[in-house]
Amino acid sequence: MKTPPPRPSPSRIRYVSPRFQGPAVLAFTVIIVIGGAIFWKLVDGEFRRIFPLTAIQGHYTFDSAYDIVRDLLAWHLAGLFIGVFLAGSALVLLLVAVTRHGIGKVVDSLRASADGDLSTPTGAGSIGEFDRFGEKIDAVRSDTLASVLTIRSEVTSLASSGISPEEFRLRWDELKHRIRRIAP
Amino acid sequence: MTRPEEAGYGPLIHRRYLFGLLLRLCVNFAGGVGILFVILYFALSRPLPVEYAGIFHALRNLSPFLRPILAVSVLVYALLACGSTSALCVYVLHKVAGPLYRMELVLDQYRSGAPTRTVSFRNNDQIQPLAQAFNQWIGTLRRDRHRWLATMKDAERHFLQDEATRRVKMEEALRKVAEDMARYH
Repeated sequence: MKTPPPRPSPSRIRYVSPRFQGPAVLAFTVIIVIGGAIFWKLVDGEFRRIFPLTAIQGHYTFDSAYDIVRDLLAWHLAGLFIGVFLAGSALVLLLVAVTRHGIGKVVDSLRASADGDLSTPTGAGSIGEFDRFGEKIDAVRSDTLASVLTIRSEVTSLASSGISPEEFRLRWDELKHRIRRIAP
Repeated sequence: MTRPEEAGYGPLIHRRYLFGLLLRLCVNFAGGVGILFVILYFALSRPLPVEYAGIFHALRNLSPFLRPILAVSVLVYALLACGSTSALCVYVLHKVAGPLYRMELVLDQYRSGAPTRTVSFRNNDQIQPLAQAFNQWIGTLRRDRHRWLATMKDAERHFLQDEATRRVKMEEALRKVAEDMARYH
């Protein structure tokens, strides 16, 4: 009985890239923690001021402590939400801008590569993940350029060499083989 | 840097994706603040005593009593908000991180000399112009490669002619290929 050929494994989908998502998660965490700390500091200070003051002034038309601080709490909670949301939105916009800049540079460099420019560095930016990705793209372009230049120098030397027909034929076939290996 | 839209590609990051992310963040933070409100509401809603002295003492001692409760509530808020925001980041940003990871695999494959297939991302993935630009570059390289090989094969067709003529034709083909390769720098 024939054994079936092994199925090609489907390409893995990786949902977490610590180098890309990690700093974003960390930045959001810092925003939330700072927002919470400011809220705690302000509300605690207000509570320490307002409850003794209310006790001394004797306005006891309240059923619970919540009635005393309702407005104050509402304002501080609204402030916490707005502050954290605005800072988070600014971070999102920054992330999008950095992504657009970094990947935009890579796209530009790939388009330039299609026009024959394989040597100008991508310059995808100094943000870790995009910088690394840009370097990877540059390495691929550099390999391709090295391969094309080597073949070109071989082509030029073969075209002007006065070697024997047998050797010429050998080098000609070798050259074809090397050209076939470009962008397999 | 030219915008990908100007080069006939789609946008790198769609507005819909950006607004979706902002909306999810808004709901997430609102949820966190809502939970903080509920905790503080229950902590502060205990009824005050009815008599004067009881109210006075209750209010005097309330702020030291509330301090740890406030600290714990803020801690719970921070933990819940950080947890849900992290999950949101992982879920939403994988539409950028996923294609980057896929491209890296393709680049590694290309460098190893293995046959490279056309890159395509998932439907809702962002940075689609990256795949288009890479495919365009590889496509150009392959067209050039085919042209160089075709030029050489064309020269080989003169094999029936005498050795000298064949050699001249082959050398001509080589010069043409070298000239064509000169556009790569």
